Amino acid sequence: MEKDYYVCTGCGLLCDDIEVELEKNAVNKVYTACRVGVAHMKEGSRDSAFLVDGKPADEAAAIKEAALILKNAKNPLVFGLGTSTNEAQKLAIELAKKLSATLDDTSSFCLGPVVEALLQEKFKTCTLDDIRHKADVAIFWGADPSDSHPRHLSKFSYFPRGQEKQRGWEEERTAICVDIRKSHTAKICGNYFFQVPQGGDAEFIEALIAGLSGKIPKTSYNYPPKKLLELANILKGAKFGTIFVGLGLLYSLEDLGPLVRLLETLNEKAKGSFHLVPMVGHYNMRGFNENLFAETGYVNSVKFEEGAVKHGPEYSVVEALKAKAVDAALIIGSDPLSSLPRSIAKNLLEIPIITVDPCETLTSRKAKVAIRSGVSGVESGGSATRMDGVEVSFKPIVETNRPSDEEVLKKLMEAL
Amino acid sequence: MDFGSFLSAPEIKIKIVTYRDIFQNKAMIEDRFGEDYRASSALIKLDPADLKQLGIKKGDTVIVKNSFGKIVVRAEESGYEAPHRGTAYMPNSPWSNSLVSDETGGKGVPRFKDITATVTTAKGEKVTELEF
Amino acid sequence: MTNAMEIYQMLPKTNCKKCGKTSCMAFAVALMARELTADDCPPLIEESKYKENYEKISGLFKTSEGATETGLIVHEDLCFGCGNCVVACPVNVANDPYGVGSGKAPSKTEKLILIIEDGIVKAQNVGECRRFGKNKILCNGCIVTCPVEAIEFV
Repeated sequence: MEKDYYVCTGCGLLCDDIEVELEKNAVNKVYTACRVGVAHMKEGSRDSAFLVDGKPADEAAAIKEAALILKNAKNPLVFGLGTSTNEAQKLAIELAKKLSATLDDTSSFCLGPVVEALLQEKFKTCTLDDIRHKADVAIFWGADPSDSHPRHLSKFSYFPRGQEKQRGWEEERTAICVDIRKSHTAKICGNYFFQVPQGGDAEFIEALIAGLSGKIPKTSYNYPPKKLLELANILKGAKFGTIFVGLGLLYSLEDLGPLVRLLETLNEKAKGSFHLVPMVGHYNMRGFNENLFAETGYVNSVKFEEGAVKHGPEYSVVEALKAKAVDAALIIGSDPLSSLPRSIAKNLLEIPIITVDPCETLTSRKAKVAIRSGVSGVESGGSATRMDGVEVSFKPIVETNRPSDEEVLKKLMEAL
Repeated sequence: MDFGSFLSAPEIKIKIVTYRDIFQNKAMIEDRFGEDYRASSALIKLDPADLKQLGIKKGDTVIVKNSFGKIVVRAEESGYEAPHRGTAYMPNSPWSNSLVSDETGGKGVPRFKDITATVTTAKGEKVTELEF
Repeated sequence: MTNAMEIYQMLPKTNCKKCGKTSCMAFAVALMARELTADDCPPLIEESKYKENYEKISGLFKTSEGATETGLIVHEDLCFGCGNCVVACPVNVANDPYGVGSGKAPSKTEKLILIIEDGIVKAQNVGECRRFGKNKILCNGCIVTCPVEAIEFV
């Protein structure tokens, strides 16, 4: 019997095998999803709300006010979109063009550089399905999927059987964790947990490259060479290896150079091939990167100006706010007052803010116009791009009277 | 004789590493202004020896501050087997973000996971409210 | 987790024998063996000063429904619903190789031992568990794959 499955948009894994029981148009029971997914699906249905200056308003008035703010701005910022569908993201890009806006998402201070390098084909990559079917070695580096993408290991990277992996994880797969703390994922990796000191990843990579090349691996923090050589040997024997790059690794590297060299060395010295997959958190951050890349050749941090597009860190949300370069902000599905350093986010308070978000957030509380949208992926459908680049389509789980962010963006476009 | 009682409250310098926690993430989705989110976010995990040096018990509140901000959060034992005096762990949240430097070297990436601060007892003061 | 000594510390320590055992220590051992429950100690239930300890002990031995026979306990408060145990359990894999065995949703829920419901693992059909029955073995597939020690056998 074919069951009716839903897609969970709780994180970048986009699990597509979720069974749901509904009661009175609300999610009552969820099967197979993790705790985060269940919370995401169950906490959906709330009332719609449109607020202008903190007071309830009707939809038309809120859209009108928002359009006015954007029209009057010389350099508005359009930011967020990591939890929006591909369709909504493409509209936001159009909107940013029309407004000559600065456009960025959270990837500029998250995994954007890695996705950019992937799209520029600086690394070999593969899909999570390839990994399930073939991978014998997985390295979680500065990443803790047990907490961030709970089903990562059970659905793809460690425990499941696959076409070429019929005998189970104990015999056929090795999971390795490199991190600065013993995370839940590190615990599962047991003896293959390699603890590095804070900021020690670049050196660890260089030492590992040395080990792979038959030299003695040295680090300034005296990491036992024997253990490093043991790791090098496991990697050399891999037929299909993957490095899952987390923020912990990215934040500790000055640039991606060491990682590029490690992948090159691995692909030269190992039995098989090595791939890289970014541990993208938000369900469609990779989609934003790919959509903007297709349009402009850049994955984030752009400024549109009379048909031209400028790119650079100065157009990232962090630098734009720090330099007070933007004079209004349209924030879609993101809460920068929570997620950015307070020392930088506070500059948002000096400019008019428009938020489009299913929840009340620190940012929406300070917004001139706050639009409460439906939960993307729960109350509205569309398509999104999984952390490994696979496109996934989904339908809404429950009905709602709240507008999707796609609808809000459409109406904003019309009002402009 | 307890010389500690004649000194001002001990202060220690720490490096803070931030991380993500699934129960905290779940609590945020359910209600980011709720008690569960606060309880699972506004905390700092210290080495037991550091707790002792501060003269506090687990569960007591501490002041964590640097030139970028000051917060009051609950102190806990880290539970890690390996000792890590001088290094503390905090879930990534608006509380930890209050202490993140605005220095980015122009690259657009703040040092979210690399925070230096001092810790002292908060003498029962309540956890910092989330507001701007 | 807990040992008999820790349980003993929470008992009245009067050796009143009302539970039918010769001492409180013997009662603690019987609790650990799932032979008796906290409700078999009258002072623990009746005297208000033990109320907190009674609740603690009852909580410690709260078993997931129907799981008592193999001694499988799920600590629901710890479980993430990651599904590692569901996918690693050899009985689950044997009974549903293309569903849970391949990391996907179960295709034959009724034949499985472990499933994820509302983000928490649920044990059922525990009689099928390899630690049970005539040819039992000390399988620990669900224990070693758990990031938070949410499953244990006692």
